[in-house]
Amino acid sequence: MSTGPSAREPSSEQGANGDPAGYARLRELLVGPEQARLEALQRRLDDRQLRTEDLSQVIAEAIALRLRRDHALQLALNPLVEDAVRISVARDPSILANTLFPIIGAAVRKSVAHALRGLVESINQTLERSFSLESLKWRVEALRTGKSFGAIVLTHSLRYRVEQVFLIHRETGLLLQHAARADQIVQDSDLVSGMLTAIQDFVRDSFTGAGGQEVETIELGEFNLWVQHGPAATLAAVVSGTPPPELRTLLERTLEQIHSDFAAALSTFKGDTSVFAEAQPLLQGCLLGRGAQTAKRSRSFFIAAAVVVIALIAAGLFLVVRHQSRWDKLLLRLRSEPGIVLTSAEESWGSYRLTGLRDPLSADPEALIRASGVNPARVTAHWEPYVSLHAKFRAERQFRSEREALEQQVLRFPLNSAQLGNEQLIRLDDVEAHLVNLQEHAASTGQSFLLEVRGHTDPSGNEDKNASLSQARADAVVKALIDRGISREMLRIVAMGSREPVRRNAAAYLTDLNRRVSFRVIVEAEGAR
Amino acid sequence: MIQKKICMVGAFGVGKTSLVARYVLSIFSDKYQTTVGVKIDKKVVQSRGAEVTLMLWDLAGEDALTTVKPAQLQGASGYILVVDGLRRQTLDVAIDLQRRVTEAIGAVPFVCVLNKTDVREAWEVQPADLEPLAAQRWTLIETSAKTGAGVEELFQTLTDAMMQEHNVTDSTTGAVAG
Repeated sequence: MSTGPSAREPSSEQGANGDPAGYARLRELLVGPEQARLEALQRRLDDRQLRTEDLSQVIAEAIALRLRRDHALQLALNPLVEDAVRISVARDPSILANTLFPIIGAAVRKSVAHALRGLVESINQTLERSFSLESLKWRVEALRTGKSFGAIVLTHSLRYRVEQVFLIHRETGLLLQHAARADQIVQDSDLVSGMLTAIQDFVRDSFTGAGGQEVETIELGEFNLWVQHGPAATLAAVVSGTPPPELRTLLERTLEQIHSDFAAALSTFKGDTSVFAEAQPLLQGCLLGRGAQTAKRSRSFFIAAAVVVIALIAAGLFLVVRHQSRWDKLLLRLRSEPGIVLTSAEESWGSYRLTGLRDPLSADPEALIRASGVNPARVTAHWEPYVSLHAKFRAERQFRSEREALEQQVLRFPLNSAQLGNEQLIRLDDVEAHLVNLQEHAASTGQSFLLEVRGHTDPSGNEDKNASLSQARADAVVKALIDRGISREMLRIVAMGSREPVRRNAAAYLTDLNRRVSFRVIVEAEGAR
Repeated sequence: MIQKKICMVGAFGVGKTSLVARYVLSIFSDKYQTTVGVKIDKKVVQSRGAEVTLMLWDLAGEDALTTVKPAQLQGASGYILVVDGLRRQTLDVAIDLQRRVTEAIGAVPFVCVLNKTDVREAWEVQPADLEPLAAQRWTLIETSAKTGAGVEELFQTLTDAMMQEHNVTDSTTGAVAG
């Protein structure tokens, strides 16, 4: 285009009038201004610099215009943008990472929150069914604060406390700001901050290689160190107990907030930490969690309640066990007791029913029940009488029959005499024989006894005389018994006078029967058997 | 309040730790240096009417097995190169370290310390060795960890140099912002 006319120019000039200078002058006169403009246009088209300048003036409008028309431009630019991002990341990932940092937390939170919402809702439903005073209180708090009920429950259920928060300049490890609870004993926080950074470097260099992962959690006994990293600053929180996941979110948000509020101060930080004093409220906001005292108090209350409940249960168990053991012991006692045969023992709803056989000589079951500690009012018993062949009862029976026989013995005396006749002395042999038998049986049943030798007179005569006469009669019998080898210790003399006649107001002939000596066996400690 | 991170570097056994032990606040035991590779101490210095808190990163000594890690140097406003006067070789290590530190964090103020002046007569390092360094405008200070000579001067000199940088850059950034 540009070469065409200029190539023909010389021939046409020469062909016209043969005066090239004149022709050129004519042409300049005729089309001079146009020619200059053409040449200017030509220069603009040929000159890359100028063309670029031209295009730069309209490109934004052109793109905007095209975008309004269709989507061809987006499609065309798509591979370009992808490639550009890829190259940027390959060259220096930190640029894109730092650019995205302020929003990536929010983006991830949004997505995770969406995924968790369903879960939290199902927890909410479950919790809503359980109604208690505490859940009512939390519900009010949820309404008041606008948080979800589940979040409130988590905050209250978990016992944790943020003790200290460090804001650390990432590059230098210098402490920008520090917040701690009033009751915390704080080591030199500058040094802690530096050392924490050094340890981060150490872990990164030693285990993960350059550009690897950061240390985010350090656990030490009941303390957790939660570290949140940003491009220019690090937030480290010392937490006691079990921190809820919400705390991590809070740290993330706080750090993002600090990065956005102090962007300039962080990038030009040269050691002057005074500007970061304004971050103190943000750090204070991270000192969350229940006070250890509150936790302790409620824990001690819980322990006290638990102790009381356990004590009540233990007491109840103890009573049941003791009752059961008393009952078992009673049954064992009854079964082992001679003269008692237990045929059935039933227990229903705290009352008892006993049936069996009982020898009248055996121990009193009522007394046994009372002694066992079982309430006798709750026990109904039916005992069928029987005779036991147990050695103890046989000896007892023999003792009783001998005693009966002995107590029926009577020695008679003539009127106004304390002299035993021959006939009476034969009777005394019987007395002696019974007495010896009685001693034997008493030894086998473990009893001891005394024999009262009782002297009597008839009602005639005066009282004093009768008393001394009855004494004399008893003395005579005792003497006779001692003569036959009976121990004096077991004999006791009782002068009855005429106080115990055989039969009062009887016919005169019967008064002879009153002149006598009778016997009574006194079993010692009879009730204590 | 101004805080500055400074690093102590030097060959193994030149006395970096003992040099500062009596002059700094330390809550960590020396064990950290052998395990984590660094121990951090603190020193407060007055300079030009301002109180400057120096966070002193005492790096593990350089030897065949241990090399100074660039990560630990990051963000340092200045550093101290320690040389053992008794061992000529430690001066070579210091010269090499100075070059590497400058590569890692750029040109920042530093002081080269010639330690163990208390046994001056036994020194391997001769004044002739130091002349080229003085010609390069190195700040050279002689100290003794044993007697404490020169230690306070060391910190003061380095802090003054750092604060000069601090104020210069401060005023330039101020001008740009204005």
